[in-house]
Amino acid sequence: MLEIEGLTKFFGGLAALSGVDMSVKPGEILGLIGPNGAGKTTFFNLVSGVLRPTRGRVIFEGNDITSQKTHHIAKRGIVRTFQATNICPDFTVLQNIMLSCHLKPKIGLLETVFHTPSSRRKEKDVLHRSQAILELVGLDPMADVIARSLAHGHKRILGIAIALAAEPKLLLLDEPLSGMNAKEVSETMELIHRLWQSGITILLIEHNMRAAMNLCQRIVVLNFGKKIAEGLPEEIKGNKEVIQAYLGAGEHAA
Amino acid sequence: MLASSLRLINMSGQLSLAHGGMMTVGAYVSTLLVMKLGLSSWVALPLAGFSAAIIAYLVGFPFVRLKGIYFSIVTIFFSEMVVLTAQQWRSLTNGSTGIFNIPRPDPIVIPGILNLIFSSKVDFYYLVLVLMLISLLILYAVENSRIGLTLRGIQQADSLSESVGINTIGFKVLAFSIGSFFAGLTGGFYSHYILAIAPDSFGFLYTINILVYMTVGGDKKFIGPILGAFILTILPEVMRPLKAFMPFFYATVLIVVIFFMPEGMAGLPERLKRVVRKVLEKKTKHA
Repeated sequence: MLEIEGLTKFFGGLAALSGVDMSVKPGEILGLIGPNGAGKTTFFNLVSGVLRPTRGRVIFEGNDITSQKTHHIAKRGIVRTFQATNICPDFTVLQNIMLSCHLKPKIGLLETVFHTPSSRRKEKDVLHRSQAILELVGLDPMADVIARSLAHGHKRILGIAIALAAEPKLLLLDEPLSGMNAKEVSETMELIHRLWQSGITILLIEHNMRAAMNLCQRIVVLNFGKKIAEGLPEEIKGNKEVIQAYLGAGEHAA
Repeated sequence: MLASSLRLINMSGQLSLAHGGMMTVGAYVSTLLVMKLGLSSWVALPLAGFSAAIIAYLVGFPFVRLKGIYFSIVTIFFSEMVVLTAQQWRSLTNGSTGIFNIPRPDPIVIPGILNLIFSSKVDFYYLVLVLMLISLLILYAVENSRIGLTLRGIQQADSLSESVGINTIGFKVLAFSIGSFFAGLTGGFYSHYILAIAPDSFGFLYTINILVYMTVGGDKKFIGPILGAFILTILPEVMRPLKAFMPFFYATVLIVVIFFMPEGMAGLPERLKRVVRKVLEKKTKHA
């Protein structure tokens, strides 16, 4: 589904990512882990078109989408969430979702100005779809709450819901569990699991090792911009290089 | 109306200071079309709006890539450029002398039903009133539609909007174009109203005035700019004896509003409600 070939990004003289090859198969849930500064978020930014790679190619469903604009890539079906909370703080929860429901159906300028029946029907459609997404993620009781007053955990969930509303085929989740308490973590993990079961392919960046091990079918490990390991969670757990990357070389701490 | 259309641009999080320039474009386009090509003013006026919109569209793509203050600075220069062009292109615009004896809009005659001749200021007033209401309706419809929602979304979270597939650049250009359309239209009407235009009729200070309307009224709500324009037009009339101090009053009102009513006049009722509620709560506590 997604093929990455020799992806490389330099920031000045620093290689944030160098020659990463990997692929995401349709329908799988793949974890991308690595210590801080390993290049995980840079990887997301390159795939979603926020940054242009120095070298390498990104191929999605057979099309080369390297360096395409973010909104084009989103229309093709790759939607990402953000590591930092990124929502529209002054909108209600429902409006946040509706904002993202814009890809289909399209409402033209003239339709808008004249408020035609077709535009009204489409707006209704969007409303229904938004409500359905809120129910799916469990935010429906908070539909009319202004987003900025949500609890942190709910804001994070809203971030995922916004991405969902854009109808992704491949969902890139950037540390969806960060800053959550134990209960929120388990709820969110359950949600991600459900999304994956519903047929969305998921690429997950996560610091929470236990969560990544539990959720993902396969795991790719980055360190200093290079891929150091790839495999099943059990294999990764026992991989020497991975343990070194996380715990430091020289000392044995297991 | 001007302030409202500026607000639409502002909604996408970009502060345009090109409104004066766009009005100048509209004024010249409509005047020249009527006077040189002999077009009916009812054809020329929409064309004035469209030419401002098209120019906004063309310059919009490079402009809106700039964020925040940089966008505003570029739009100021754009406005000045329009003024300078109008001054230098003597053969077309008669230079800084301007153009006089602009005809009034052609009468609307529907035999037997309607016969409107816009020769007096009163007639013209009604014409502009109708035009203004239609424009405000359109702007209101746009704002309360998905386009309005999208623009406000972009203002709040640019990167998020882009990541869910919204062409943020495109929408910003769209807002800039729609806003400029109405600026151009208004510019056109204005020239037929005062019957003369000069390159600096709608200079930078003019744009600042519109901006002051918007700020005083409050740019969060649709009614804001309308309220601001209303209050600041009435104010000089009431204070006519103190006319020499007018700029001073403007400045005072602006500063008071910015410091004490960041949401503008339109936010006032809600603020009052909050204050009253607080006072009531205190009283019940004491009791």
